Amino acid sequence: MTKTITIAIAGKGGTGKTTVAALLISLLSQKGLVLAVDADPSTNLNQALGLPLDENRTVGRIREKMTEDVSKGRLSPTIPKQEYLFGKIVESLAESKGFDLLAMGRPEGPGCYCASNEFLRASLDKLVKDYKYDYVVMDCEAGMEHISRQTTRDVDVLLIMSDPTMKGVTTAARMKELIGELRTKVGEVGLIINRVKGELSPEIKKAIDESGLQVIALIPEDPNMAGLEMKGKPVTELPQESPLRSKVKEIVESLRL
Amino acid sequence: MAGEFHVDIGPQYEGEVIRKEDVYVEFGGPKVAHKFELATLKSAAEIENEKVEIIGPDLNALAPYDATTGKGGSYPLAVLVDVAGSQLDKDAEPIIERRIHMFTNMIEGWYHMNQRQDIWLRMSKACYKKGFTSLRELGEIYNFLFTSELPIIEKIQTTLITDDKKVAELLPKALKIYEARDARARALKDEDVDTFYGCTLCQSFAPTHVSIIAPNRIANCGAINWFDGRAAAKIDPEGPIFAIPKGKLLDPVRGEYEGLNKVVQEKSLGTYDRVYLYSAFEHPHTSCGCFQAIVFYIPEADAFGVVNREFKGETVIGETFSHMAGDTSGGKQIEGRLGTGLEQLRSPKFIQADGGLARIVWMPKEVKERYKGVLQAKGLYDKIATEEDVKNVDELLAFLEKVGHPWLKGEVKLPI
Repeated sequence: MTKTITIAIAGKGGTGKTTVAALLISLLSQKGLVLAVDADPSTNLNQALGLPLDENRTVGRIREKMTEDVSKGRLSPTIPKQEYLFGKIVESLAESKGFDLLAMGRPEGPGCYCASNEFLRASLDKLVKDYKYDYVVMDCEAGMEHISRQTTRDVDVLLIMSDPTMKGVTTAARMKELIGELRTKVGEVGLIINRVKGELSPEIKKAIDESGLQVIALIPEDPNMAGLEMKGKPVTELPQESPLRSKVKEIVESLRL
Repeated sequence: MAGEFHVDIGPQYEGEVIRKEDVYVEFGGPKVAHKFELATLKSAAEIENEKVEIIGPDLNALAPYDATTGKGGSYPLAVLVDVAGSQLDKDAEPIIERRIHMFTNMIEGWYHMNQRQDIWLRMSKACYKKGFTSLRELGEIYNFLFTSELPIIEKIQTTLITDDKKVAELLPKALKIYEARDARARALKDEDVDTFYGCTLCQSFAPTHVSIIAPNRIANCGAINWFDGRAAAKIDPEGPIFAIPKGKLLDPVRGEYEGLNKVVQEKSLGTYDRVYLYSAFEHPHTSCGCFQAIVFYIPEADAFGVVNREFKGETVIGETFSHMAGDTSGGKQIEGRLGTGLEQLRSPKFIQADGGLARIVWMPKEVKERYKGVLQAKGLYDKIATEEDVKNVDELLAFLEKVGHPWLKGEVKLPI
């Protein structure tokens, strides 16, 4: 049996993180079964993939509802919460051709979540094991806190997205430093710079060198994106030869995914 | 095995998942309103052995899921398993019923999720192609597996209902039965079991803390009850939730057990060597940082208040929840301060050594309303002050005098 490859995509907002994640998912789903995890509550991976989102079907909402049901005595005392949670997570999967999407939703509010997060971690691990996913692709918020709190999965490849600005590259560098503080182990780390016009400035090149990050792709501005975004169409409708799509293909090949 | 069936049966299929793309039809699940499964103990005379009855359209009459439109293929279902056996009693019903989950998953091309009124079954396209075209076969497999795996079952009959009207009509009856079972489970007492559970999930916050989980004591966070503890310890005995043989009962009033003392000593790294489950004094249970509420001693009234995490204002003693939480947390035994799950207010053992619920004199209005039933049953609902009645301890004492609180009137006898 082959091992599941886990890929996380992180970066500050507006860098095209979700677009690249969606294209990666669509490409990998032709090679094997993918679990797509939307772990950034401020973005909409579902929309980029052309799937509707049901707010009641996020993991955050499931956990909230379980906590509420327990406190109101609505949940049977004899049904183990771990089993209950797993069932609800499977029910909330948006099943599509070649991939399933799981939305994490909002992070927890005040109170104690040690127990529910423990059940959640176990459920997500069971999900990946039972469904025998070949790939897990996670669209993460910048800090990746979600991931380290709610799964025990190690990340094989971390792709950090940036735009060709000093701010973007500094944020990416800080993200790399923070990896050490996570409970999650991270394998390969690659930097992707999106919307590159011509060459990178010498200052940015220097900042990248100092950060120790390895650039694995420079993606030029994709002229097809504006049109799609205005029509609210999923990025998976980008033409095959569009810059974004062909670069993502190159990334997959260079990482031997 | 099972040569007379169209598909293979065995534990190797238990982990098999059927994704939407491979579904022929599904029964129950999130798209279907009416579905349930129920095992019922009957007398031998009431059962026609190995009978399978189908009520409603069968597999070959149901339109399959259409992958191109993404529509259809979801149907209601009731699975009724009636059993008889001279050694069986009512308590076996939920255990037998739970086997439906395992047995369905053992069938090649079938998938079963959840339980009771939440069931979700899927059958694959490949399964239908192999000739599994009637639910009769599913019923026959159930009858076969139940009697061969559980010899205690002497007679069995299975009814599968796909007729929505009929399922909808029977569902409320099933819900009543589930409720009755839950009521029996809630009535389970510490005396009824030999094993309690310990939880050290919060030890990263409180290294000397271990939450004891017993039938009459939910974990401090309010999220893990005795049944959850049992399930978790079974899946991962070496994990953060583990079994504790409760050992000899040393003090039935304060709830001191030999086995618990031992575990507390070990897990608190020798900081504590005794714990009382049913008292807030002397050796109270430790608190992590995650408790839902704090039970706090009010010296002027020689009684207790309760405050929950959501209550943002000052309590009757002038301290807020978060202020008190700072002192109470961190895995320390603090006399007169007890971190707790709110559901403990329903426990018959709740600080029983100190007078129980009858020694509570203050709580936030919201908590009082949530536990109105149990407070009324004990005649305490009108006796307990909230933030709306009193602002400080002087006003509290006057309130208690006025309403005639049983503890201050000396009507509460402490158990010896």
